[in-house]
Order: sequence, then structure tokens, then C-alpha cells
Amino acid sequence: MALERVAGHGTALRIVSAAVPFLCGLVFSFFANIPVSLTSGQVPPPLLALVPVYFWCLVRPDLMTPAVTFAIGLAEDVLSGGPPGVWTLAFVLTYVLVARQRDSFASLSGLAAVLGFASAAAICCAVAWCTVAFLALLTQGAHLPPIGPMVSELVITVIFYAPTALLMGWLHRRLVGPLRSDI
Amino acid sequence: MANAWKIARKSNAQLPLVIVVALAVVLVLLGKAQSGLFDQARVKMTDWLAPGLEVVRAPIQGFDRWMGSITDIFSVYEENLRLKEENARLRQWRNVAIVMQNRVDRYQSLLHAVPDPKLNAVLARVIGRASRPFVQTLILDAGTRNHAGPGEAVVDARGMIGRIYLSGSRTSWVILLTDPNSRIPVTVAASVGNGGTVQAIMSGDNSPRPTLDLMSHTAMLHAGDQVVSSGDGGLLPYGLPIGTVVPGSGGSWRVALLADAASTQDVEILNYFQAPEKPPAAAELPAEAAGLKPLVPPSPETLATPGPAAGAPTTPPAPVHAAAAIPRPGAPAADAPASRQQAPSAPPDGGTE
Repeated sequence: MALERVAGHGTALRIVSAAVPFLCGLVFSFFANIPVSLTSGQVPPPLLALVPVYFWCLVRPDLMTPAVTFAIGLAEDVLSGGPPGVWTLAFVLTYVLVARQRDSFASLSGLAAVLGFASAAAICCAVAWCTVAFLALLTQGAHLPPIGPMVSELVITVIFYAPTALLMGWLHRRLVGPLRSDI
Repeated sequence: MANAWKIARKSNAQLPLVIVVALAVVLVLLGKAQSGLFDQARVKMTDWLAPGLEVVRAPIQGFDRWMGSITDIFSVYEENLRLKEENARLRQWRNVAIVMQNRVDRYQSLLHAVPDPKLNAVLARVIGRASRPFVQTLILDAGTRNHAGPGEAVVDARGMIGRIYLSGSRTSWVILLTDPNSRIPVTVAASVGNGGTVQAIMSGDNSPRPTLDLMSHTAMLHAGDQVVSSGDGGLLPYGLPIGTVVPGSGGSWRVALLADAASTQDVEILNYFQAPEKPPAAAELPAEAAGLKPLVPPSPETLATPGPAAGAPTTPPAPVHAAAAIPRPGAPAADAPASRQQAPSAPPDGGTE
């Protein structure tokens, strides 16, 4: 009886731990898109939701699946107020590229790891910019989106990567890592 | 624990990548066709967040002021001198404005002019700001229950900031004039020459100074020309002060906005709606009223029934609708203060005290 209760408890914990990457993406997306700025809107908020996508795509792709990435991108789209679908497509395509080069990205450490994330974030921002530019071309009289704000967003995101990745590493070790069994 | 960082090799993706990518592309195209796809979710979220945003607004505003004071403290003396000089200059303009206002009032009484349509205004507070690469917006603490609705102009004490594009029950999202999706018709009043006006479209591109696309390729602009809303389309009132023309790169023109959306805290939402202008009835046309022969032949029914004598209108002239009294874009700039009288926080430029 006790063994059954422990086993049931373990299953629940495993489900919770499997949901940690997804919940992290949602929470980070929520906090990054709270419409409060300490800089009067001069500096864009970071793309915090991309960090868990990148991190767990490398470490636990069984938990950060394409469907989870799609859902996190969708949340970013809803919360950010931009054109629908732009961040969803950008996140999914970034996931595809990172997943294809997992071994290369995962072998990086220290500053190289930050640069690895910077390249992934650059891909994400480039996809988003190209998508919005494509949508602008479909609209008569619309201008191409400026590149400057997108570069600012990229820089801020990379700056925030290190502390966010540390937090996720802690979460991974505490919640996700110890409960893995299917690696 | 030791192998916590071991990289997983097994990926049991629930959906193939191709399907997810295809879904994302479909979502983008669907969002283009149905631009309000996520709007309800967004306004519900801000309605839900509104109490929290109002709570954190005060400390963030205080932090902003504190940060600003750090840089301002080094230029207090120069700023004080500049403000004194500006104040003296504005007092002169205030006297000029009072004289002009009296003259306009006298002319209006002589002409029995119909006053401009009244603008109802809702006072709102900025509780959130979002500056993303593809959207620049403010969130206000007034929604549909305060009679604020999409399309209404948002102004502060200095000029127009943007328009409402989403309204929840308690909050509204404002699309700023600098947002890439913002395009409004404007009138540029020449500051030199014979005082003519130029029609243009002002488009945001995420830079602090929106661009001007002139409707006429032969129109000439000068730096310092005043830009106001033209009222074309009936969504915005005519004469809302927006900014001044400044030269851009490559021979283009841009608008230096009067309002500063980054620092404004209290705004007004102008409730304005002008019905599309209907063509006048045939009896009201000048040719008909003068007893001249109409260009269009009368219908057989009209010919069959004997009408009144030529020159006598069949129906009395309809009263002039208030909307018809809205100054046209070509009207002199002196008409502008009359329309601004309805918005207490947007005084004439010379009326600052």
C-alpha cells in the first residue's frame, strides 16, 4: 500500500516536472510582457520566453517538444500585442535550427554558451523581422519595420540570458533533472 | 544528481516539426486576415491585470522621476533660465491668442456661425507601457464602462498621442503615433508664404518622429510647419495639434511630435464621431436655389404633377447640420482654438500659464 502511494506520488511529481519547461516559458513570457517599464519604454523588454525554449531544447528535448514551443510562442504572441503568429513562427523555426545543431550548441560553455544563445536569438529575431516585413509588403503603403528596435531587443535578450539560464539550471537540477528516467 | 546535465538523446515529440511549422505559418496568415484574432485575450488580460498595474504604477513613476532627477540636477540653472525665457515668450503669445479669440468670436457672431460639434472627453491614467519592436502602446485605465471605444483619439496637454485600438471593460490599448501600424490623415499648415495647407498621411515607423507622405507631389513643406489632424474620414476631429515638420533623411519630411508618450501620465480620450457627409438634396443646390435649370432632367413623375412656380423651393431649406460647420482643412488656423475649447487640457499654444 505504501509502495503504491509512493509510486503514485512519484508519477504526479514526474508529470509536474515534465511541465516545468512549458510553465517556465509561460511564466517568463508573462513577466516579460507585463506592460510596465522602468525606462519609460526606451528599452524593450527581453524575449525571456526564448531562453527556456533554447535551454531545454538542448538539455531535455523530450520535454521541450515542438508542440510546447508552439504553445510558448503563441503565449508570447498573445501577451506581446504584436501581429498574431509572428513569435510563434520565430520560436518554432529557431527550435528547428537549434534541434538540428544540438550537439554543437550543447558543447559550448562559458562565454561561448552565451554566444551560442545569441546566435539562436538572432535567428529568432531575424525570422520575426522577416515575417513582419513580409506582412508589411502585403499591406498597401506600409513601411518595412525598422531594424533598430529589433537589434535592441536582441541585445537585451542576450544580456538577460545568463541570469535566466542560471535560474533554469537551478530549476532543472531541483525539479526536472533528478526525475528523469527515460534518457 | 551527478548526471543532471546529461543531454537527453530521446525525443518523443508529440507533433512532427513539419506540422508545427505549417501551423505557425497558417497562424501568421490567419492573423493577417483576422487582425483581431488575439484581441479579446489581450484586453481580458489587461482588465485582469489592471488593479495590479495601478498599484505598481506609483512606485515606477517615482523611480522614473528619481532617475530623471539625477540627470536633471546638473542642468537646473540652464533649464531655469530657458523656462523663464520661454514663459515670457508664451505670455506674449497668450495676449495675441486672447486678441485673436475675441476677433474670431466677433466674426462668428456676425456670421451667425454654427459652433463646432462638442467633444466629450474621458480623463484616463496611463497604467502601462509596452515598447516592442513591432508595437508601441500605452494602456489606460478607462474602458468601455467609461465610454471609451476603439478609434477615439488620445491627447495629453500638449497634443495628440495616438488612438485607442482595443477596449476592454476597464482598460484600453492605445496605438501610438509612432507605432508602425499608425497611419492618420493630417493637414500641414504652412508657416511661411501665403499660409496654404497641405494634405498628408502621417505614418509611424517605430522612430520618435513619424514620416509624412504628401498627397501632392508638388506641395512644398518647410521646417517648422504645423501639423494637425485633418479630420478626413470622420474618425478624428479636425485641428488636433500633433507636431511640427522637420527634415528627414533623403529629402523626406518627418514630424516632431508635441506630446511625449514616454513621460505622459494623464490623458484625455476624445469621444468624437462624425457621420459621413451626405450629398445635399437637389433643392439645396445653389443652381436650384437660384432658379436655374437643373442639369439632370426631372423624373416623369415630377413632370406629371404641377409644381410650384420656378424659383420657389419645394421644401424649405434644411437646417445646417452641426457636422457641416466643421472647419475644412483649408480653413485658416485661427479656427483651431474654437474646436479646442471643448478639450480643457489642450489649450491653445499661447495659452500656457
